[in-house]
Amino acid sequence: MSTLETRYTHVAPDHDRLSFARVMRSEFIKITSLRSTVGLLLAIVVLGMGTSIVLGLTVKDAGLPGASSVGFMLDQVTIGTVLFGQLIAGVLGVLVISAEYSSGTIQTTLIAVPSRLAVLFAKAIVLFLTVTAAAAVALFGSWAVTYPMLATYGLEIGLTAPGVVLALVGGAVYVGFAAVLGLGIGTLLRAVAAGVATVISVILLLPIILSVIPASDVVRSIHLLSMSKAGDALTNTADGTAFSDLADGYVSPAAGFVVAAAWALAFLVIGAVRLRKKDA
Amino acid sequence: MITAEALVKRYGTKVAVDSIDFSVRPGQVTGFLGPNGAGKSTTMRMIVGLDRPTAGRVEVNGRPYHEHRAPLREVGVLLDAKAAHEGRSAYKHLLSIAATHGIGAKRVREVIGLAGLDSVAGKRVGGFSLGMGQRLGIATALLGDPATIILDEPVNGLDPEGVRWVRTLMRSLAAEGRTVLLSSHLMSEMAQTADRLIVIGRGRILADGAIGDVISGATRSTTRVRTRETERLMATIAAPGVVVSLLADGAIEITGLTAEQVAVAASAAGIVLHEVASVSGSLEEAYIALTAGEVEYQSSNIAQTGAVR
Repeated sequence: MSTLETRYTHVAPDHDRLSFARVMRSEFIKITSLRSTVGLLLAIVVLGMGTSIVLGLTVKDAGLPGASSVGFMLDQVTIGTVLFGQLIAGVLGVLVISAEYSSGTIQTTLIAVPSRLAVLFAKAIVLFLTVTAAAAVALFGSWAVTYPMLATYGLEIGLTAPGVVLALVGGAVYVGFAAVLGLGIGTLLRAVAAGVATVISVILLLPIILSVIPASDVVRSIHLLSMSKAGDALTNTADGTAFSDLADGYVSPAAGFVVAAAWALAFLVIGAVRLRKKDA
Repeated sequence: MITAEALVKRYGTKVAVDSIDFSVRPGQVTGFLGPNGAGKSTTMRMIVGLDRPTAGRVEVNGRPYHEHRAPLREVGVLLDAKAAHEGRSAYKHLLSIAATHGIGAKRVREVIGLAGLDSVAGKRVGGFSLGMGQRLGIATALLGDPATIILDEPVNGLDPEGVRWVRTLMRSLAAEGRTVLLSSHLMSEMAQTADRLIVIGRGRILADGAIGDVISGATRSTTRVRTRETERLMATIAAPGVVVSLLADGAIEITGLTAEQVAVAASAAGIVLHEVASVSGSLEEAYIALTAGEVEYQSSNIAQTGAVR
């Protein structure tokens, strides 16, 4: 080699190398630097707490239960965050990856981080943590704002009551899983519109379709093991000691956690296979 | 340094890149030329691992791209000027990429300054013109201070000042001993910037060498002469292999003799020459000659299209 060819000798210093933690940091910068993604995170909080406030204000007209119960309180507090949150989170999950394809950013991303699985898993973890955090703010916030409203009727339940904190955390984790499910679908389909339609179908439409199909044991079991049913299970308190009893129609919070995680991971894995195999 | 060996990319039955071998050396600007659909972009995408080769291998700085522990420090790439999310600011876009390698905000500000984007760094990329997008893409490529730089059509959409900036930048990066691979359809720009050329057509390499060799290999250089005694000169120099043609402006164009040979012959015969010049082919002529018949999407005859209207 001539001197010209060897003149630019460079050694990448240790502090300028790829690492998984750095890829996660990059993904965190991405998710917090777009109005759309930040807006969706805020929407989880606003719609979740807003729904609880409306429910709290109208609780008397809706019919008061005879005595205070954890289950009644949790319904008021969690329904908005879980119902709207799961859809918003699913859409956010789709956007996080499909917007990279529609904008061309995916090229830049994969040039910086050639390991595609590292990119996807970093996205999944950052997405799960930020969405779960937003949903936790929504749920604990909902509990806090409805506490005085329910107290008016002597129906307030403190955080120390058995199962309350677990149900609120469970609800937040469920919304986080819905986001990961969306990420998997978005990675698989790569298109915003198709991804959003699919994620809504999986979360909302599947249980509806199953409920109109003539009931058989199989259909009933699938229904109990659907994503949104897992959300219900996670935001309720454990009833007895059974993990789940499909014949009896019971899914415990722990079983709900497993079901929601399984749905999210299944789609994430399918997305990962496509991402790895296909040209970007 | 980029090395490709028997590199193949097939999409179904269509062969985009047909077993090409080439190397791009440090210390030079290598131009990558070819018609649309010739396989340039596919080759560049394979170099950085965006597309997987069907067969063969391509290495950057001695390794397949994905094996590098700090890819941004090895290779800086601009493939698509608009490869940034419209809703993100240029600064955050660069910061998110830099973060993957632990490159700090200081370097991000540096490349923003280098690319002349200071005034728009905080603005969202969606409002950028194509030229600003190119500058952002070049800033991205420079983030890791890489040893190898690959730019696909970097001057597309740039104003004359920007074109000149890219040219100077490429020359100085190469002068520092870096490897620079550059594709462009602007022949005059390529002629001014590149030291070497790789010309590709229908997935095959049509020419690979120093820019002067590629041009002289694909074009004929001629000698242009002007004299009052045209006919006597033509008779004097007539020989096998010498072709003389009369030009519209009265000058004659001679192929097969150098300017020196023509001048000596004329002097011996006592013929006064008013003008003697050797005319070498241009890069554009060489390119057209090389890629004739290799063009994937050829424009239809202009006269015909005119007649239809």
